[in-house]
Amino acid sequence: MLKVENLHAGYGTSEVLLGATLHVKPGMVVALIGANGAGKTTTMRAISGMIKPTQGQVILNGIPVQGMTASRIAKLGLAHSPEGRKVFGPLSVEDNLLLGAYNHLPKFFGFRGKATADLEKVYELFPRLRERFRQAAGTLSGGEQQMLAIGRALMANPKVILLDEPSMGLAPVIVQEVFATIRRLKEAGITLLLVEQFAKSALEVADYAYVMDHGCIAVEGTPAELHQNEKVIAAYLG
Amino acid sequence: MLKRLLLLRGTEIIVLALLASIPLFISNSYALGLLTLLAIYGILLIGLDVTVGYLGQVNLAQAAFLGLGAYAAGISVTLLGFGIFESLAISMLVGLVLGGLLAFPALRLEGPQFALATLSFSALCTTVLNEWEGLTGGAQGLSLTRPGLFGYAFNAQGFYWLCLILFALVWMALRNLLSSQWGRAFEALRDSPIATDAMGVGTYRHKVAGFALGSALGGLAGGLYALNFQYLQPQGFTYDLMVILLLGVVLGGRKSLWGAFFGASLIVLLPNLLSNRLLFEIISALGLLLAVIAGIRGRLRKTTQTFQALAPVVAMSLLVVGGFLVENTENWRKAIFALMLFSVVVGLPDGIMGFAARYLTRLFHLEPPSLPPASALGDVLPKKPVNNSVLLELKELKRYFGGVKAVDGISMTVRTGHVHGLIGPNGSGKSTAVNVISGLYAPTSGEILLQGKALPKGSLFKVARAGVSRTFQNLQLFGELSALDNVMLAIKGAYRIPLPLVLLGLAKAEEKRAQADALALLELVRLKQHARTRAKDLTYGSQRFLEIARALARKPELLILDEPAAGLAHPDVNELVDIIKAIKQYGIAIILIEHHMHVVSELCDVVTVIDGGKVIAEGSPAEVKRDPKVIKAYLGVATEPDGPDTHPLPV
Repeated sequence: MLKVENLHAGYGTSEVLLGATLHVKPGMVVALIGANGAGKTTTMRAISGMIKPTQGQVILNGIPVQGMTASRIAKLGLAHSPEGRKVFGPLSVEDNLLLGAYNHLPKFFGFRGKATADLEKVYELFPRLRERFRQAAGTLSGGEQQMLAIGRALMANPKVILLDEPSMGLAPVIVQEVFATIRRLKEAGITLLLVEQFAKSALEVADYAYVMDHGCIAVEGTPAELHQNEKVIAAYLG
Repeated sequence: MLKRLLLLRGTEIIVLALLASIPLFISNSYALGLLTLLAIYGILLIGLDVTVGYLGQVNLAQAAFLGLGAYAAGISVTLLGFGIFESLAISMLVGLVLGGLLAFPALRLEGPQFALATLSFSALCTTVLNEWEGLTGGAQGLSLTRPGLFGYAFNAQGFYWLCLILFALVWMALRNLLSSQWGRAFEALRDSPIATDAMGVGTYRHKVAGFALGSALGGLAGGLYALNFQYLQPQGFTYDLMVILLLGVVLGGRKSLWGAFFGASLIVLLPNLLSNRLLFEIISALGLLLAVIAGIRGRLRKTTQTFQALAPVVAMSLLVVGGFLVENTENWRKAIFALMLFSVVVGLPDGIMGFAARYLTRLFHLEPPSLPPASALGDVLPKKPVNNSVLLELKELKRYFGGVKAVDGISMTVRTGHVHGLIGPNGSGKSTAVNVISGLYAPTSGEILLQGKALPKGSLFKVARAGVSRTFQNLQLFGELSALDNVMLAIKGAYRIPLPLVLLGLAKAEEKRAQADALALLELVRLKQHARTRAKDLTYGSQRFLEIARALARKPELLILDEPAAGLAHPDVNELVDIIKAIKQYGIAIILIEHHMHVVSELCDVVTVIDGGKVIAEGSPAEVKRDPKVIKAYLGVATEPDGPDTHPLPV
């Protein structure tokens, strides 16, 4: 579904990502863990086209997409739920969701009608969003904003979702909710690439995981295999 | 170090000496006129660069200040019979006072509104100069005779030297100012006005002071302008001139004295460039060549976008082709300026100097000056007595946003030396509460007492001065400044030396001391080896730690940490815990907002739990964790045994 080969990227003159290779198969939840500054978020941004990779390949569903603009990659079926949620604060919950489906909807008239089914799907997954569909997104609590960001990504009917730090800055009870959400997405058969600081919880939901260190993939394997790896345990699992 | 000094100061001295000696070899009065104008415009552009470059405000009033200064000098000489230095002092004073008066209301505005305010000021000035005929002579103009000094009448050469000396003095004073705490404050307030206030460095007052200074230099340049031409007309100081001045600053390079110098040379040479067709063709062809080379190079290295590479080439081609087509290039003046400005803004956003500086530093391997050894941390953060007395007291604190009761009657007591945890669900009002305490918001009602005295309300700046320092949930670092400068800016009482001595360059010792203190704080948060790294180039974890060091530089009674562990990976979280423990050793009380319960349990003496803007529980971490209300509202199912914090479940 998503193949990343020897990806290099960085900001200005500083190279952050030094050749990352990772594969995400359909219906799988793949976790990407590692220390701050290891290059996890940069990987996500290079895949989704928010920054241009300097070298390497990103293949989405058989199509090489590296070097394309973010909006074209999104049209090809990749949705990115960025770190820090980044919802459109002044807009209502429903408008945020509709913007997620922007590429698939008529631009001027009748978009709400066309989007009903997709909206319904998201509201079923997150009933809390239905309750607040008229509320400005900026006034939602952190957990609700995270749900909205995921819901917005789902609206595009993506083939793959990149989920960057969904638990960041959330209360423990909400973090549990976010992980429950990820499990629900997994049960719904959605393909996910997940960056997460809570390594233990991430490994619980993931089918496969990569550990990043200094811009490279240091270790990879199934969660069970990583739980055997002493270095990984010492550094990330405690 | 020595090499750096020799290169930087050496170049300045050589260029100055060259400029000063030209009249000795060339007795062309026209060339002398141009050189005089160069020195005058140099002062004017350095002043403009303070507002446009350092403060980052679009200032369209500098031409008006040139005019005001010029008329101030003209009137001083003709009506009051003042001598040369008195007139110049009056010019400068007029710029300073009127600049300050304009800045007071105008700098409350931001961006486009500020630009419009300065634009209306310019229009107002031109009109007044035109219509107040009794004083200015109106459209007739004002003639004056340049007064002499001690019986010595300045000839053109003597006056040129006077202008050059003043230019050199302004250069030195501004260099000293901009490399001091003032320069740092100017840079910082552009990056994050909120953090600048929160570090006890007033954003607004620095903006007003900077603008007044820039205007004063505009006034001084105006005085020289009047004494140089000895004839003034209001039409000389209109919008046209303003566009050219902006072109000079942008093309020369913002935030650079050399940039202002290059910009001034350009402005002086432009009219000549336009009147000589051959010269114009040569220069525009050179510009085209430069644009093509830079464009191809940028595209090959993938550092520039296609548009950025192509647009200057197209614009410069238009100049070259247009140069052959039109009859009189001078009639096309404005179009030519527009094309040049466009190419520079797109192709060389940092201006000539910004572009050159990058290559020159690499060519000469210029290294930043060495740093002094770090101070002892105990001297920077003197140990405060810890006696369990009340430090901060909140009484029925409320803050409503419209109908939303974000903080709805919180009472809480923080004792000296304590780490006081503040936890609660997202949206429960924790961040709003600390935003009210630290002065970002004014409370709707309620009292905040620090050591028994009421804390100022609704002013980050005043609260910071009162001894409360904070970090931000969404990082508010000064991204363009180095880690060291970030901390130095906040150091309390770093600069007690008065402004005139700073201008004379006598603040060097204080600068060194501030550096040493800042290094000690960077060492505490393990960032000493990154002292010279720009804050925005640090890793996310390091940026969080840098905010803590910066907040500590205020030597606060109370430190507020707003989710310092958010987004940190496991090893960094452990480091954070060690750092906070170390800070606690110095007797600084801490309010800690955090979602990592492992961190809260390990560090906090007392924990207050907030939900829906109200306190729902308070006590030791262990007590709070057992409280059913807290489990329901915040922790969720509490089943996990104690363990490291790599797991979202409460521990």
